Amino acid sequence: MLPIVLLSILGLVVLFLGFQKSKNLLLPATLLVLAIVLVANFLHWNDMPSLYFKNMLFENKFTMAFSGIVIFSAFLIVALTRGFVDDESAQPAEYYTLMLFSLVGAVMMIGFENLIMLFVGIEILSVSMFILTGSDKKNLRSNEAALKYFLMGAFATGIMLFGMALLYGATGSFNLTAIKGYVMANNAPSAMLYVGLLMLLIGMLFKVSAAPFHFWTPDVYDGAPTIFTTYMSTIVKTAGFAAIYRLLSGSFSGIYSFWWMTLAVITVLTLLAGNITAVYQTSFKRMMAYSSISHAGYLLLSLTALTNQSQSAIVFYSLAYSIATISAFGVLMLVAKETGVHSYENAERFEAFNGLGKKNPLLAFVLTVSMLSLAGIPLTAGFWGKFFVFSSAADRGLTWMLVIAILMSTVGIYYYFKAIIAAYMREGELSAIKVSPFYRLILIATTIITLVFGLMPDFLKGLV
Amino acid sequence: MAEIAFYGFSALSIGAALTILFTRNVMYAALCLFLTLLGVAALFVLAGADFLAITQILIYVGGVLVLLIFGIMLTYRPDRESNQKKNLVLTSHLNQFWGGLVALGIFGVLFWVILNANFMIIHSPQLAEFTPQRSTLRSIGVHLMTTHVWAFEVAGLLLLMALVGAAYIAAQREK
Repeated sequence: MLPIVLLSILGLVVLFLGFQKSKNLLLPATLLVLAIVLVANFLHWNDMPSLYFKNMLFENKFTMAFSGIVIFSAFLIVALTRGFVDDESAQPAEYYTLMLFSLVGAVMMIGFENLIMLFVGIEILSVSMFILTGSDKKNLRSNEAALKYFLMGAFATGIMLFGMALLYGATGSFNLTAIKGYVMANNAPSAMLYVGLLMLLIGMLFKVSAAPFHFWTPDVYDGAPTIFTTYMSTIVKTAGFAAIYRLLSGSFSGIYSFWWMTLAVITVLTLLAGNITAVYQTSFKRMMAYSSISHAGYLLLSLTALTNQSQSAIVFYSLAYSIATISAFGVLMLVAKETGVHSYENAERFEAFNGLGKKNPLLAFVLTVSMLSLAGIPLTAGFWGKFFVFSSAADRGLTWMLVIAILMSTVGIYYYFKAIIAAYMREGELSAIKVSPFYRLILIATTIITLVFGLMPDFLKGLV
Repeated sequence: MAEIAFYGFSALSIGAALTILFTRNVMYAALCLFLTLLGVAALFVLAGADFLAITQILIYVGGVLVLLIFGIMLTYRPDRESNQKKNLVLTSHLNQFWGGLVALGIFGVLFWVILNANFMIIHSPQLAEFTPQRSTLRSIGVHLMTTHVWAFEVAGLLLLMALVGAAYIAAQREK
């Protein structure tokens, strides 16, 4: 559990670096911290699965892979903050420290063995997200988003805590293995156990914005500064799904027949709500918010199936989704900054991409690859992500859900292609955008990762 | 005697909670919240959870509620034009149908669960140490420093983060 300790201590170091007059050291220092943590995360890769801190945290290849995805995504996002921090003339030390601390929460959510750890982890991640959402203090939409997120999040936390209390009442323990032992020993779960599990799941599904608990998502993702929208839609979602998977496979796989129908209904609702509403959006950023709901639906499909393949399927899907989302938002941030000098409201619409392909071929290409990956077109990582998720659902025999999911992914192609069409086929007066070499390097790296995993999916799938 | 106390304090909590729900005056709501929290603290005492009761009074009644009343006091702008009117901070009730439906649903589910619950103490090693006659403070302290020390430490990180965030949000920009 080296990453948690390192992130906490080095996060403090970054906070103290903020006392210096020159802020130039902060970004390299944060990137260095994340690189160290990423290496430390994989140090015990070949060890046996083990428990830490009096059975509070668990570590095996699955949790390490997920922590790796989360930390790597954070590395890429922090690398893209450069322009943002210059603009804000704000206190970057606070941003970076909050980001590093929030990763502690994410890693704890992935590796929890005790429900107390899950709760503290979710709280750490959520509280930092509330603050970062409202970090653009002069922007009214950002303030509104933060308030909305805070109120809804606090409510969901209350429900989740109630669920944990009921689970404790039913089983007498917060420990995943002990709960599993109770569930195995008592074949017919009591009402308390069932409702406790349901409320706990509602709280967690809220955090990953699954329907019908998704109403906060578009407003919050739209209002938050784009860099933190990226952070929310990748890291919070990845950690949330890892936590739900750990909970369901770790404790409740024995009573699959009792919960799968509930989760199946939520999955279908999420797929329908996310994809169909995304079609009607005029703002690219809002479309990405709905698309993140639809991706939550595909990941839930794999969780509903819960076969042996689900584990590697959600690892692969999360990675493909995170990388593609980061590069899409990376391009959006550049374009919005270029066009948004006069009209902030219009900067994030699809029309902002008009004529991108002529003057900025690199940015247009990065955008295209990320859109293709999100839509699940072959030769990109997103295709294999969807393929593995669908095949795990097929193994369980969930044919009707599979049909809905495939139909919805064709709907997805429509709205993702709107951005590509705007970039290549529409006329626009977008001039050549100046991209710093480092920013360019990150965007090229995410694009190459997407393409490499699209060509060689077995490379990653064989590891976990 | 214990039953009379239980029903009395329950009635106090529920009555005050319903008043919070239906009153439009924010000050009344804050004072009723005080009664509710006090009633719940008394119920904790009756259930043998002494530490929880003290914490409830210290944190919620002593801290959160004072913060709440300060919040009302500092954000309230009196209407200077008409001195005749009473200085009331009023709220309005919106979305009553859906809100009521969700609340009733949650109430129904919890009611069903509690009716169906088996309140026998489950025999697990953690609960075996618990004896209602003695104070729970000692075992809570021991657990906080042994089995749950990691949760305790990380809660400190959560508080630090909240502090950094609060300072950031409250800070004035230079420009």
